[in-house]
Amino acid sequence: MPLLAAEAKGKRRRKKGMENDNLTGYLFILPFLIGFFALTVFPVAMSLYLSFTNYDMLGTPRWIGLDNYERMLMDDTKFIKSIKVTLFYVFTAVPFRLVFALAIALLLARLVVLKGVYRTLLYLPSVIGGSVAVSVMWRQLFGNEGALNSILAKLGLPTVSWLGDPSYAIWTLILLYGWQFGSSMLIFLAGLKNIPASYYEAAEVDGAGPWRRFINITIPLLTPIILFNVVMQTIQGFMAFTPSYIIFEDGRPLNSTLLYVLYMFQRAFTFFDMGYASAMAWLLLLVIGLFTALIFKSSSYWVHYESEGER
Amino acid sequence: MMRTRSTFMTLAAALLLTFSLSACSGGGSNGAETNNGVAGNNAAPAETSEGANQTEPAKTEGGEEDVTLRLMWWGSQTRHDLTNEVVKLYESNNPHVKIETEFTSFDGYWEKLAAMVAGNNMPDVLQMNFGEYLTQYASKDVLLDMKPLTENGTIDVGKANEGIMASGVANGKLLGIPLGMNALTVIYDEKMLQDAGVASPDLNWTWDDWKKAAEAVHAKSGNYGTQGLEITNIFEYYVRQHGQTMYSADGKGLGFDDKLLTDYLAMTLEQQEKKTYPSMDVIMQHEAIEDQLIVHGKAPFDFRWSNQVVALTKAANRMLKLAPLPGPDSSKGMYLKPSLFFSISKQSKHQEEAAKFINYFINDAEANKIMKGERGVPITSDIREALAADLDETNKMIFDYIDMIGANSSPIDSVYPAGASEISKAMEEINEQVMYKQLKPEEAAAEFRKRAEEIIARGAE
Repeated sequence: MPLLAAEAKGKRRRKKGMENDNLTGYLFILPFLIGFFALTVFPVAMSLYLSFTNYDMLGTPRWIGLDNYERMLMDDTKFIKSIKVTLFYVFTAVPFRLVFALAIALLLARLVVLKGVYRTLLYLPSVIGGSVAVSVMWRQLFGNEGALNSILAKLGLPTVSWLGDPSYAIWTLILLYGWQFGSSMLIFLAGLKNIPASYYEAAEVDGAGPWRRFINITIPLLTPIILFNVVMQTIQGFMAFTPSYIIFEDGRPLNSTLLYVLYMFQRAFTFFDMGYASAMAWLLLLVIGLFTALIFKSSSYWVHYESEGER
Repeated sequence: MMRTRSTFMTLAAALLLTFSLSACSGGGSNGAETNNGVAGNNAAPAETSEGANQTEPAKTEGGEEDVTLRLMWWGSQTRHDLTNEVVKLYESNNPHVKIETEFTSFDGYWEKLAAMVAGNNMPDVLQMNFGEYLTQYASKDVLLDMKPLTENGTIDVGKANEGIMASGVANGKLLGIPLGMNALTVIYDEKMLQDAGVASPDLNWTWDDWKKAAEAVHAKSGNYGTQGLEITNIFEYYVRQHGQTMYSADGKGLGFDDKLLTDYLAMTLEQQEKKTYPSMDVIMQHEAIEDQLIVHGKAPFDFRWSNQVVALTKAANRMLKLAPLPGPDSSKGMYLKPSLFFSISKQSKHQEEAAKFINYFINDAEANKIMKGERGVPITSDIREALAADLDETNKMIFDYIDMIGANSSPIDSVYPAGASEISKAMEEINEQVMYKQLKPEEAAAEFRKRAEEIIARGAE
């Protein structure tokens, strides 16, 4: 009762006490605002400032203008190497994961029994993916005396130093990225469920085989979901760090696994080159922004929205 | 309503109980402070005694002023526990001193310390690292020159090894007191060598002996003849044994001829081609100390720091032996390395008391018996003797080895330019490129010089 009365009172006062209401509102979101400004806005602005300085954490940052950016693009061969490695990684690992996720989602959509169990089991790798345990397992699997090599040896095939050979090492990371397909798979699965069964039935009546149905119904209707997944996974791919850090530590062999963020980490926390690392972070932001924009731009050519009118 | 109230009362009661319990236990462990003037007041032991210390700046029986020192270090849980124990002991022996301790892992330490320096909030006594870190802090001029304190005997280093004391000097000032010593060593498996008919290495063995032994073992058993060498440490030794230095005396360039690096790389590459030396991918997959080739009995030699021998022999589960690195002139190349320093902040208001604590830490037998050489082999001969009786076989071997190296070594080179850690990384990378046959040794040496000089130039800006 008293509560209702207070509410009625408040309603009457509403026009007069507009500022008062706003104040209350701001007070309510104050904890978030403090966190947002102190822990997000301030560090972001600070890193932009630091990217124009030479800063070793101990002294005061010294303004050097665009020197960090210039050194990065002109003089740093390791930086160029890390860009190459990262682009290769993103353009291989992301499609690999998406195709894999879609294939599994298609299988799961057909499944009638034990759906929940399979979904959980298949999602598990994504949960434990970045952990040290998985990196240990990966080293065991692909090590010189690892599981894969002993299978190859049993079959009479030549063994390969998967982790030690600069041309294979990155592939173990790509495989690991693909193996953690869980979240994309769930999103695909939700998308598949949204395609009305009547479309398939109609197509079947018209004599379309499974492949035709997949190409002409499933794929077009799934394109918005594909777009979403491509954008999210590309961003994630550029930011990949943990697997290469825990499996190869510092980009070995021959910097063939030196992902961009790993090199950034090395500059910041091994060499205490904070200004340069900040500049790298900002360049990464620009690159990710550029790729995301490109993907969105291209979407008008390949993404099909069912309700055309809304676009 | 009733329900809420009773829940509240229960919680409050539980809280009270917890407080009173912790107060009791606090009183027990802080016996020292209770003795200090406020004994007899046993109603609320710990808190009151601390409060009394703060509100009474007066002098205690000894006539010394109460001081609070701040002490900071990094390390493992073992180190934290042992150091805290030593601190407690010191406080009970010196009732006027209270020591506040702060400790972290190595990674967080330097960020924390950098922030403290910026905020004029440095601890009185702090753990410092040899090499680039000491150089960096020396250049910021935030550490106290302890030379006067050693000269007036506040910190007694009379029994300390002279070579090791030199390592704490930067820019002509004594900025760090070493807490322990390490040395490079060759760990060898005597039985594997005997089986191949090779004599065990001694003080006079050479790189040629090493190669021959490795080849003999490989020929006999098909095993590797040696574990791979970690280039940054071993090459520095190699440079020194040839009478040169890693960095020039002014720290503005490299201090060795390209030929030395070429020779060194050619030597290891040749061994790799003869299969006595493991290839890079094998080295990479046996990184953990418990997983070294020698642990598995797959190689007779392993090169590393003496403090790692404990973990290595434990993993190998058999006795291994130690020798200096191969000569000729190994005594020119060998050196004792300070495992860690204690430094005093220049801003400290209690420099004298801080120095007394450091003196206690390095010279007190009881304190060192607690620490058990956790920060490396103690630097004074007295303490080493005092500990000798309690050592196990492995540690005894390490102590003997350090004594032997102490008599057959030259002082450490303590010139490190800013960017030294990046230069080390560059060296590892060119070593990798040679071992993967992407660069020839002489190309690699030239490439390394180019990169190192760039890094040094950038650091000097």
